[in-house]
Amino acid sequence: MNDKKQKLASSFQKWLLILVVIAFLATTVFLWVFQTKLSKDNAVSLLQLNISDVRQDIIDASDKNLLELAWAIAGDVDSQNEITSVYLAKLKEKYDVTEVNYIDFEGIIRASTYPDFLDYEMASGEQSADFLVLLSEKNEYVQSYRPVSYDASIQRKYGGVILKNGGFIQVGYGAERFRKDIDEFVVGVTKNRHVGKEGCIIIVDEDGYIVSDRFGNEGEKIEAAGIKLGGNDFDKVRVFTAEVYGKPCYCLYENAEGYHIIAAMPKSEAALSRNVSVGVTTVMQIIIFGALFIMIFWLVKRLVVDNIYKVNDSLAAITEGKLDTVVDVRSHAEFDALSDDINQTVDTLKKYISDAEARIDAELAFAKAVQHSAMPSVFPPYPGRKEFDLFASMHTAKEVGGDFYDFYFVDKNTLAFLIADVSGKGIPAAMFMMTAKTLLKNFAESGLSVDEVFTRTNEKLCEGNEAEMFVTAWMGFIDLGTGKVTFANAGHNPPLIKKGDGGFEYLKARTGFILAGMEGIKYRKNEFYLEPGDCIYLYTDGVTESQNLQSELFGEERLLQVLNENTNEKADVICEKVKAAVDTFVGEAPQFDDITMLCLCYNSKSEKEREI
Amino acid sequence: MNIEKTQNAAELEIKVRGRLDTATAPQLEAELKESLSGIEKLILDFAELDYLSSAGLRVLLSAQKTMNKQGEMVVRGINETIAEIFEVTGFCDILTIE
Repeated sequence: MNDKKQKLASSFQKWLLILVVIAFLATTVFLWVFQTKLSKDNAVSLLQLNISDVRQDIIDASDKNLLELAWAIAGDVDSQNEITSVYLAKLKEKYDVTEVNYIDFEGIIRASTYPDFLDYEMASGEQSADFLVLLSEKNEYVQSYRPVSYDASIQRKYGGVILKNGGFIQVGYGAERFRKDIDEFVVGVTKNRHVGKEGCIIIVDEDGYIVSDRFGNEGEKIEAAGIKLGGNDFDKVRVFTAEVYGKPCYCLYENAEGYHIIAAMPKSEAALSRNVSVGVTTVMQIIIFGALFIMIFWLVKRLVVDNIYKVNDSLAAITEGKLDTVVDVRSHAEFDALSDDINQTVDTLKKYISDAEARIDAELAFAKAVQHSAMPSVFPPYPGRKEFDLFASMHTAKEVGGDFYDFYFVDKNTLAFLIADVSGKGIPAAMFMMTAKTLLKNFAESGLSVDEVFTRTNEKLCEGNEAEMFVTAWMGFIDLGTGKVTFANAGHNPPLIKKGDGGFEYLKARTGFILAGMEGIKYRKNEFYLEPGDCIYLYTDGVTESQNLQSELFGEERLLQVLNENTNEKADVICEKVKAAVDTFVGEAPQFDDITMLCLCYNSKSEKEREI
Repeated sequence: MNIEKTQNAAELEIKVRGRLDTATAPQLEAELKESLSGIEKLILDFAELDYLSSAGLRVLLSAQKTMNKQGEMVVRGINETIAEIFEVTGFCDILTIE
């Protein structure tokens, strides 16, 4: 596996982690924003609650104050027989109010400290019409500070009480007047009032001076508290932020009876609940997302990655050549399909391999058959020639080898016989063997001496021997009339010769170089004589180098021993005995090399020679 | 089989230990193929070589042919078994044995 590439599990882990972190951040940010808004709303509603309380307190106080004044004025009026504007003016001075009106039972102003108001019909203005309740059901009525119906530029607070003789008295005053009466009360309103833990309420008069706050800044301009009031927009409830006494606050202000009431709460306090809530949720999220991450990762690893590894292990085994390995990951439909597909592929592969093997086996068997048929295989080969007895055998290994033997008459009385071994195995060796065998036979039959045959064959084989193959060969020419054997050896194992009543012995003679090894080699010939009854045994190293299961070689000693146990046998029996001995020695071990041998027993000198 | 190479300029010494047979010969062949370029003297130290098969002989022959073209090749330190193999196969005729 390529180590540079990321593993599926770690790649998955990375992406899963990124996703989880993104999800976590997104929810945290969302929660933060949501909680911030929530905390602000909470703060504002808390401010609203407090401001409403204070406002109500102020209104109650000023209502009560005005009604007390009105009742006092009404008492004075009731004591008069006639109600005149002049008298009302006196009362205005006496009680230090701004305006006193007498309204009769018809709801018309009959006397007033304002000449313009005379004969004004109370029902004609919305603000004034409200006072008509005094003619039917109520005996006192008070209005909040507001613009009057008659002239919207004038702000007044009006209160009215009924008169004993019908009609009612309406008393009005401006903010300055009633503030004189209730400022003392208003100052006390905020003293012990906390908004939340650290928030406060500040009451400011129309001119922007602090009337009351719990820090004792009465008389200071409101700007000292860090708040700027914008214009005359006092009737609207407004939420704003400002740095109140050095702390960033959410603020709310409202207007009551000419007072501006400002409630402020530090943002930090408002944010406290948010921070706690976000903190707790974050911890929960970390736990939940962490658990989720571990769980998903574990699941994927278990369900996918581990199974992939299992499939991979099986594939590795298959690649190593264990084609009988079955992929058997059956946890899910996908792996089921994958396993089946792989198994099917391997089965197909196995089939192709066995088909190919069968074809190659058939071709090799055919090649072997061709190779065998090129060698004389009918024994005895020359039933008419009693002078000698010849037998040869070749037992090939599974693979096509390069051993061969051959024998033929080069003239009427001279028999050539040879054994050879081509280096290597397989089809190339077999083809090279056929060439070598043909060349040897051609040169031998053309009447050359055995050394010349080798020299010429070597030259031919060296031409274009790109594969660098070579042949070891031992070839002899026996003159059947005299028993004289001339021979040449091209790097081959020495043959064994039995002479007279003695045993077999290795033929010691100088060996020439292998055939096809190098150009320009001159081979030498040697000679010896066979007497009737003598034998010569040729073999390839397949005999002496046969191995048993203990990797021991059959060896030259054992060969010599077997031969000497069968000195009086005929050629075919000798060969069979040697093969049997080799088989016994090898046992169950496989045969690696061709086992080839040739045995020639010289029975008698030929007639022709005797005649001479 | 174990191969140990020592190169000194254009002189290459290769020490072969163990068995040089069908199974191991291709290894020595590959080793020689990549090392012989530019070599003028190749020394094969067979002092610890136990066995030499025909496949090994083929590699030796190939090396000898290559070195014939570019310099010389010497086989050194052979034991009796190997000497006999060279004797029997005629390799003693074409190899320079020290």
